[in-house]
Amino acid sequence: MTLLQSEMAAILVVIVVGFLPNEIWRVLGVLFGRGLDENSAWMQWVRAVATALLAAVVARLLLVPSGALVALPFLLRVGAVVAGVAGFLLVRRSVLAGVLTAEAVLIAGAWWLGVGN
Amino acid sequence: MQPSDPTAEPGSAFRLSYFLQGAIGSFSVPGCVLMATFLGFGGLLHDVGFPIGAGLLSTLLIWALPAQVIMVGGIASGASLPALAVAVCLSGVRLMPMVVALMPLMRGRRPNLWLELIAAHFVAVTMWVEGFRLLPKVAVEGRPSYAIGLGAGLAIVSMVATWVGFHLSGSLPGPLAVALLLLTPISFAIMLVRNAREGVDWLAIGLGAALSPLVANTPGGLDLFWSGVGGGTLAFFIARLWKARQA
Repeated sequence: MTLLQSEMAAILVVIVVGFLPNEIWRVLGVLFGRGLDENSAWMQWVRAVATALLAAVVARLLLVPSGALVALPFLLRVGAVVAGVAGFLLVRRSVLAGVLTAEAVLIAGAWWLGVGN
Repeated sequence: MQPSDPTAEPGSAFRLSYFLQGAIGSFSVPGCVLMATFLGFGGLLHDVGFPIGAGLLSTLLIWALPAQVIMVGGIASGASLPALAVAVCLSGVRLMPMVVALMPLMRGRRPNLWLELIAAHFVAVTMWVEGFRLLPKVAVEGRPSYAIGLGAGLAIVSMVATWVGFHLSGSLPGPLAVALLLLTPISFAIMLVRNAREGVDWLAIGLGAALSPLVANTPGGLDLFWSGVGGGTLAFFIARLWKARQA
């Protein structure tokens, strides 16, 4: 993180590395949206790549955790996320129910293992 | 689409009353879930030592949590900035079809390019779900202002949550601190399952996650790029072959 010790450098990174490459898709959606076929093969591929990318982000957050998460055993990290998805599917597909289930499993597990105490 | 012209009737102008109604509409269950996920993002910022001012700006300007997590997490793990820009760009592609689908509901009677661009900026998963639920009930001439109010309300709530998460992270006892940090992968995993409809979606989820450890430590910090493009492309072709065989 030495690169970003200064707030200004971090703000510049947020704009150039985060804002611009992300916002371009919203602008394109406004400008060229009317002629876009959502079910074209091109769009299907784009959606598959975006989905795989998000799944990879989840996997990386669980496999190579940062900071305080390192203290948790891998199985508890994965178990909590699996419990969250199960809670979501079982309780009327409610995102809130899923998040609460996962957090309950995680906190109970962490407390039982004595993590961070 | 034409840019706004000065002779446009008032129907295309910004309306404060609709803006405020939209902002009030952002206080909802999906708004609460969003708040929880941004609490987690604030925790992540604190955890990796990212400055809070820039973190708050990322919530306002990027306004897409996957892109924000890719950027912040990538910087923390020492990935190169161009590689991160590519990964952020790839993760943002999903926003375009969302904007395209929601835009007809966010336009007023006459096109006003600036209002449309601002309304489109706030389009992300929550806005997309809430927009389809709330906008059809709003009078057509007030829809651009209502959409911007809804988006601004959600963004402000999320920025407050980012700030609170950042400051909670250092002071919470152990089990609660890890609970805060796990909010991000939990909400992403649930979002993936919620949006998965066809075989290709499940394949993309499975392959993207499975490739992730295999391509970890790819030179140049391109691991997210490879698991995203590789996993997504594989899923796309496998699903096509599958369909072709069934037909």
